Amino acid sequence: MEALSAVLQGLPMTIMLTLSAFSIGILGAVPLAVGLSSSNILVRLASRLFVDLVRGVPIIVWLFLLKFGIQIGTFKFNPVGAAIVGLGVVSIAYLAEIYRGGLQSVPRGQGEAAHALGLTGGTTFYGVMVPQAFRIVSPSIATYLTGLLKDSSIASTIIVTEMVFQSQAFARQHPTVEGILPYIIVGILYIALSLPVAYLSRRLDSRMRKAVSV
Amino acid sequence: MTLSEIADGKLAPRLGIKLDNISKRYGEHTVLDDVSLHVEPGTVTALIGPSGAGKSTFLRCINLLERPDSGTIQVDQHTIEPGKDVNSRDLAALRRTVGMVFQSFNLFPHMSALKNISFPQQKVLGRSKEEADERSRQLLERVGLKDKADQHPGKCSGGQQQRIAIARALALDPAIMLFDEPTSALDPEVGLEVLAVMRELAADGMTMIVVTHEMQFARDVSDTLVVMADCKIIEQGDPRAIMSDPKEARTRRFLRAVLER
Repeated sequence: MEALSAVLQGLPMTIMLTLSAFSIGILGAVPLAVGLSSSNILVRLASRLFVDLVRGVPIIVWLFLLKFGIQIGTFKFNPVGAAIVGLGVVSIAYLAEIYRGGLQSVPRGQGEAAHALGLTGGTTFYGVMVPQAFRIVSPSIATYLTGLLKDSSIASTIIVTEMVFQSQAFARQHPTVEGILPYIIVGILYIALSLPVAYLSRRLDSRMRKAVSV
Repeated sequence: MTLSEIADGKLAPRLGIKLDNISKRYGEHTVLDDVSLHVEPGTVTALIGPSGAGKSTFLRCINLLERPDSGTIQVDQHTIEPGKDVNSRDLAALRRTVGMVFQSFNLFPHMSALKNISFPQQKVLGRSKEEADERSRQLLERVGLKDKADQHPGKCSGGQQQRIAIARALALDPAIMLFDEPTSALDPEVGLEVLAVMRELAADGMTMIVVTHEMQFARDVSDTLVVMADCKIIEQGDPRAIMSDPKEARTRRFLRAVLER
């Protein structure tokens, strides 16, 4: 039970990291998704370059770069700051790609009908395109969230005291058979955390499907 | 109350529309070659012709869903030259004046039938939700779908969806209605309900431009029949006269194909 309480000490940090990075991603991905589907080729290329650059490098490398590679004047990232920014930016890139796919799968006639009715670009985007795209991509977003929850463990490598970090610390102090125990516990905790997300997303999805079923 | 009284809300004046020298090409491929059409207020114009003739593209040029490369569009004191920059005020005025009904309905699937009709009224005309909903219910009743107000479009048949789409367009008090093959995606029997609504609109004096393959409708309801082929208008005039005695060989060939099958 000593092991459990040790691992649980990292739980708030894991949740905080995941939710902060996810919020940054959910909001930040909106303009980037618009950029990815922009008719201006320069905007589109710049957005594409950003997405491919961010996704092309492993998260652990981004975290090391942010934590140890950035110094502006006297400013340096602390471990938690580096982890939130790193995971947040990676989330922006992945979610923007998910959004773009969703927006593109909304039939062209929807935009045409909105234009023909005289709705403005903003109303068309937020009132017509986004709600339909969201229905399409909400399962992918939930999948990404559960992935992000597990990826937040990478922050342990830059000394963020989340669950995996706490497990390692406990294991190091108890180098016996007991040493394996925190890892089993942490695994179970990750599953326990992702189950509600998966459950909620399935319920949300089937409810929305029912509402608009063809 | 007639459909168009509800539709124009006593505000929208009867308007015609003048299109002159509309040309459109995609790269090397010409779709519309110097097409002109003048539509008098309160008349019904039927556009017929073989597929690929440019009928739908022409119709979509009228409200600038397609941007013509050159030509002028005159409606209600606005003159728009789509080849040049169109300012957003003219574009908004044009789209407010002209309503459109699509072959594939294009209702918003995430909104109920009522919201489909009310949402644009609130956003475009600034009506309150109560005003908009009241108007929407009137229109739904007129197209015979009062009981579908709270259904989502996915739960409605094609013919019902198209009638909701007509109500959605009428709710914005357009002076002119464009119909792009409104019955082509429907079973023949279901198409009849839509045609009935359109006949009623025409009888009420709505200015209408209809791209259609329904020859009976074109003959009985339209005031002007326009035959398009090969990116041009090849013949136009009284529908009965053209159908019984076409001047152009191309028209004759097309009419034989659609009437004598």
